[in-house]
Amino acid sequence: MRKTSVRVLVIFFAFCFSASPCFGEALDAFEGQKGTIKIAGGTAHIPVMKEAAKRIMTRYKGIVITVGGGGSGVGIKQVGEGLVDIGNSGRAPRPEEIEPYDLKMFKWAIDGVAVVVHPANPVKSLTKDRLKEIFSEKIDNWKTLGGADHAITVYTRDEASGTREVFWEKALDKDLISKKALFIPSNGAMKTAVANDPYAIGYVSVGHMDPSVAPVTLDGVTPTIETVANGQYKVSRGLYSNTRGEPKGLTKLFIDYLFTAEGQQIVVDNGFISVK
Amino acid sequence: MRFSSENIARNVFFLCTIAGAVVISSILLFMIALGLPLFKESSFFSVWTGPWDPYQGLYGILPMIIGTLWIALPATVLALPLSLGTAFVITILGGSRLRKILGVLVRFMTGIPTVVYGFVGIFLLVPLIREGFGGAGMCVLAASIVLAILISPTMILFFSDSLTSVNPVDVRAAKALGADRVQRLLYVILPKAFGGMTSGFILAMGRALGDTLIALMLAGNAIRAPRGVLEPARTLTAHIALVKAADFNSLEFRSIFACGIALYLFTTTAVVAVRFMDYKRSVVQ
Amino acid sequence: MHAVAEKAVVVFSWAMTIVLCLCVSIFLGYLLIHGLPSLGRDLIFGAADPLRVLLGRARVFDGLFPAIMGTLFLVILSASLAVPVGVCSGIYLAEYAGAGMKKFSGLLFDILAGIPSIVIGLFGFSLAVFLHNHLDNRFGPCLLISSLSLAVLVLPYIVRSTQTSLEELPDGIRRTAIALGANKLQNIAYVLIPNALSGISSGIILAIGRCAEDTAVILLTGVVAVAGVPSSLLSQYEALPFYIYYISNQYTNPGELSGGYGACLILLGVCAFLFMSAYGVKKHLSHRTLYRA
Repeated sequence: MRKTSVRVLVIFFAFCFSASPCFGEALDAFEGQKGTIKIAGGTAHIPVMKEAAKRIMTRYKGIVITVGGGGSGVGIKQVGEGLVDIGNSGRAPRPEEIEPYDLKMFKWAIDGVAVVVHPANPVKSLTKDRLKEIFSEKIDNWKTLGGADHAITVYTRDEASGTREVFWEKALDKDLISKKALFIPSNGAMKTAVANDPYAIGYVSVGHMDPSVAPVTLDGVTPTIETVANGQYKVSRGLYSNTRGEPKGLTKLFIDYLFTAEGQQIVVDNGFISVK
Repeated sequence: MRFSSENIARNVFFLCTIAGAVVISSILLFMIALGLPLFKESSFFSVWTGPWDPYQGLYGILPMIIGTLWIALPATVLALPLSLGTAFVITILGGSRLRKILGVLVRFMTGIPTVVYGFVGIFLLVPLIREGFGGAGMCVLAASIVLAILISPTMILFFSDSLTSVNPVDVRAAKALGADRVQRLLYVILPKAFGGMTSGFILAMGRALGDTLIALMLAGNAIRAPRGVLEPARTLTAHIALVKAADFNSLEFRSIFACGIALYLFTTTAVVAVRFMDYKRSVVQ
Repeated sequence: MHAVAEKAVVVFSWAMTIVLCLCVSIFLGYLLIHGLPSLGRDLIFGAADPLRVLLGRARVFDGLFPAIMGTLFLVILSASLAVPVGVCSGIYLAEYAGAGMKKFSGLLFDILAGIPSIVIGLFGFSLAVFLHNHLDNRFGPCLLISSLSLAVLVLPYIVRSTQTSLEELPDGIRRTAIALGANKLQNIAYVLIPNALSGISSGIILAIGRCAEDTAVILLTGVVAVAGVPSSLLSQYEALPFYIYYISNQYTNPGELSGGYGACLILLGVCAFLFMSAYGVKKHLSHRTLYRA
């Protein structure tokens, strides 16, 4: 029953997309192109990359786009070393990263980093100080905060993560993150981990949030697309795609595509804020 | 020098063997060559004994060495009785049909992909541990239990192999003296098979030390050495998989070659130890 | 006192056997309950038309097809690299090598068999970076590098099984052809190898099974989440075991999760079939060839 309705929806959307002229135009740029684009790095970017790749690859059989993860650090390094064509990062590359590789950055979306807990968790509002205490293990039981009598499980990201860096700088003010925290390799995995663990606390890209996790109001501001967009929620960042030197050929077309109306629509559909 | 097909074939065979040998040595050489700057720049000692905290410039792998042991040792300890019991049933206690069925089951188990074990572990075992014992669920215990099941078939096959290869003359002599099945097992077969079983035990432990996916998926990968079975831990193998993350020239990246060397040494020691024991046994017999 | 201990051993053994069987049945039952409903055409081809996909006219984005093809390519490539080298060195070690050489290389291959697969993956990754920096910048972690690393991973199985099945041949078989005037190579090619074929092929089947299931090696050497069907040796690819790993920690909806269970069942089915047939081909396969960390 549900499957059929999904199918109907898919067909409906396929119809809409094929019917609306503006969606076709953006892809026309790829006409006659052949080759491979390798993308790696930032994991918040993956849904957008996947969707863009899917649209391009469905229409043009000669183009192959591979999308890997790894985190912002990996993206910047790999594009710098020339292992991939586009290295994504969820933070602006640092000067010492840009200079040796002559990186060019393209910011195509704005995103926030939200603190999330399991939806069943009654604790849905925290002050910054409390948050710092939780992440540094000074508070280690939900009971202290009015929740269940169970140890808090802190989830964090690896050193390569741009999400971690933004969260650490802007939400924790570079305070300690407990070494006991569980390590999660990507934004998608963070959401899944928190959704599966009733006693979890973690942080995830605002674009990745869905009803399986609950956002935590930080100092009175709930992280949503709106509060990030209007600047009320401070833990925000840009999503970047970086290339080594000026992008050329297919790589340039791909990045241009992200900035077209269609590309920016993909950005919005995936829960991020358009840069236009 | 004659260029007969005989000679050519011989040389081809020989070259293949050499190629294999070169690959093995080059793996170790690569590890050392790439890990070398680490030993030069920070002191050799601190790599092995220090904590991991890249933000403070600390690239020690001690927590991962401890984590590896915390996961691999309980796994082998859990797998030992499991395998011992099953091997006894397969070789001596069970009826012939049951033996066959168990034999097939154990062989089937060797074919179960590690990642599938991990997948089931995440969705079945982790929530059970979280609700039953508290903590995060992803912890040393979860990884050890799954790892124990993973290495049991290896151990069982080695154990049953050693138990059945005991000289039948000795067994028959004991039978003639009135020893029943269990007595024969305990007082005749087991002492003679002990050496071979130890080899199996060590090799299974090597497998537990070297496994990546189970710990990566189930142990939580925290960078602090665990202090109990309900705490998360990161193994050397998982560390390599996670820190692929970095720059090829950074110290952080080089330190994973220290992990590689440590793992290489662990497993090579196990293999050499087993070889040595096999050799000693063959001399005694 | 002894009697009690003996009883205890019996009870203990049966209890342990039951525990083990229980673990395996829970494991399988859980997988079947969750995985069976997802098996079907959609799991593999998603919304695309299977015929068009197989003809290369359509691409699959929401099915396992690219991952299955990736794994298939990996297996074929690594087997074609490892089998010739492995069988040849097995023959050399069994038929030509002197005692010293046998001992030395036996130890080497044992050590290779014992190296954790992630270390071999790390080796493959560094090799890729090395080639990228010093040879040609088109190199990087890719299908070719992964296949090479997997070939290294399974080489010991093939060498070992070839060597032992040749050495196990009775002298009767070994000498007849020689006595009739055949030279050594003829004897190997026409007599020894056909007689040892079951052992050799079981080793090869096992090796293929290992290539199909290994995740740690490919994790470092070029597998990615989205790649489509690999188009060249130097391209990145998807693979079934990596898909399972990826889904296990980042599925976004119940549909993807059940796809993960389906993928588990497929991989389990393939590997279990390969392993069981390896045992079927050769009843007394040495467990030493099985050992792998």
